[in-house]
Amino acid sequence: MNRIMKVARMQLINKATFIGIPLMILISAFLFTVAIWWLVRRSGGDGVLYGGGAQAPMWYFLALGIQALTMTFPFSMAMSISRRTFYLGTLMLFSVCALVLSVFYYLMGLVETATGGWGLDGRFFALQWIADNNGFIQIMFYFVLMVLLFMVGFFIATIYMRWRHAGMVVFFTLLGLLILGIIALFTFTSFWDQFWSWALTWTAGSVSLWGALAAVLMAAGSYLTLRKATA
Amino acid sequence: MTRSTAIATRELSKTYKDVRALDNVTLDLEPNRIYGLLGRNGAGKTTLMSILTGQNYPDQGTAHIFGHEPFEHDLILSRICFIRESQKYPDDFKVHQAFKAAAMFFENWDEQLAQDLVEAFALPTKRRIKKLSRGQLSAVGVIIGMASRAEITFFDEPYLGLDAVARQIFYDRLVEDFAEYPRTIVLSSHLIDEVANLLEHVIVIDKGRIVVDSDAEELRGAAVTVTGDAKRVQEFIGAADVLHRDSLGALASVTIKAKLSADQREQAKLMGLDLSPVSLQQLVVRSALSTNEGTDERTEARA
Repeated sequence: MNRIMKVARMQLINKATFIGIPLMILISAFLFTVAIWWLVRRSGGDGVLYGGGAQAPMWYFLALGIQALTMTFPFSMAMSISRRTFYLGTLMLFSVCALVLSVFYYLMGLVETATGGWGLDGRFFALQWIADNNGFIQIMFYFVLMVLLFMVGFFIATIYMRWRHAGMVVFFTLLGLLILGIIALFTFTSFWDQFWSWALTWTAGSVSLWGALAAVLMAAGSYLTLRKATA
Repeated sequence: MTRSTAIATRELSKTYKDVRALDNVTLDLEPNRIYGLLGRNGAGKTTLMSILTGQNYPDQGTAHIFGHEPFEHDLILSRICFIRESQKYPDDFKVHQAFKAAAMFFENWDEQLAQDLVEAFALPTKRRIKKLSRGQLSAVGVIIGMASRAEITFFDEPYLGLDAVARQIFYDRLVEDFAEYPRTIVLSSHLIDEVANLLEHVIVIDKGRIVVDSDAEELRGAAVTVTGDAKRVQEFIGAADVLHRDSLGALASVTIKAKLSADQREQAKLMGLDLSPVSLQQLVVRSALSTNEGTDERTEARA
């Protein structure tokens, strides 16, 4: 069996990390939301009810990106795995997980619509801004978002593995300066109104495209950084 | 004899900030022998092994494993096993899960051997690695190293925290398994006397430099300590290479690097001098100390 596949299997030795925990987060977020909707309906609330809980597992992917690296990379070195193989196997596994979960979101969205929002006119999976698009864009939107969050965690973790604390200090200082610079620029040029009216024109499709580009850039950055990281 | 080398390094150097971890290391290790990589803490043992296993990379020089650079070379890496002394395992891994991973990546993995060793070390395999004691953690590394049966296996201070019984089990099983499945073994250690009998070849590293690189057989009896009247000792040793000198009043005890002939021994006896053999450990300690002038001076001052 190919070593890249073996890396994926190694990451899955503890199934809770990649499959169990995100599923548990999703299910509990969903059940809580439905319980709240039910309470709202019981006390006579009307109109469509929205719940943002579907994003809960996505934030876990940020942590997962960090964990997959900091916890497993030093061990993978001891298993005589090259950095390249570790990188490809881990990313492949995550992409498959994200794709499966994205399809699951899409299917649950269909069920949600068909059951009239779980009989409570609630929106958990089929948020209009996303659900109004065709199936492909919906799945891509979830997929890109999950991969992007994973890559953000993974990228930051590679910087840590290579340059340790000094790397973290430099990275977050530069990031802070960059954000501050953009805010200052927008403020001094009174660009905020234009920015927000532009932000409102975003669609799930365009967000997916730009998100995908960002994820690819981060994947490339992670690889270049990991190339010379040490356990 | 032109046997292919398992490990070959040429002028390998590595610097961490202001510490020269490796300084012009040139070595050739033949396949299917047991090597001892000896030296003090921080001498560069782990750095050298990390570079040889592609876990780290040199600033200068080359390291070849079976004729290829190991860095990012999966085919070569799959023939090597190196569990570092401070090896990190995934936080959520239990002992048996680490073995399961090792069984996937090391093609020669022997599950039976792994199970035997688990029993011998009384290792709780269902416990999380995070919760293990230092000795049990070392046992995990030892078991992966042994059961992987990799063509080149590095043991990095494998005995840390292990009790005397467990250490003996490790040494015995290593020799036993080596006899049946010869491979290149590099045993890094600072408990030199304990491993001395296992080693076929000894490499001593100090401050990143190789100070000894010779067959264990050659080293046994390569040095001798001469004790007796200071003047007579001086007369006897002449211009021999002095590794260590102790004196107390008119008495002196001097360790020299020399193989004495029967005649010389007879002469020593006639001069009323006492000759005592030097253990590998003493030889290594003396060699390491004598490369360090600062330490030498302190030794002199104390003596």
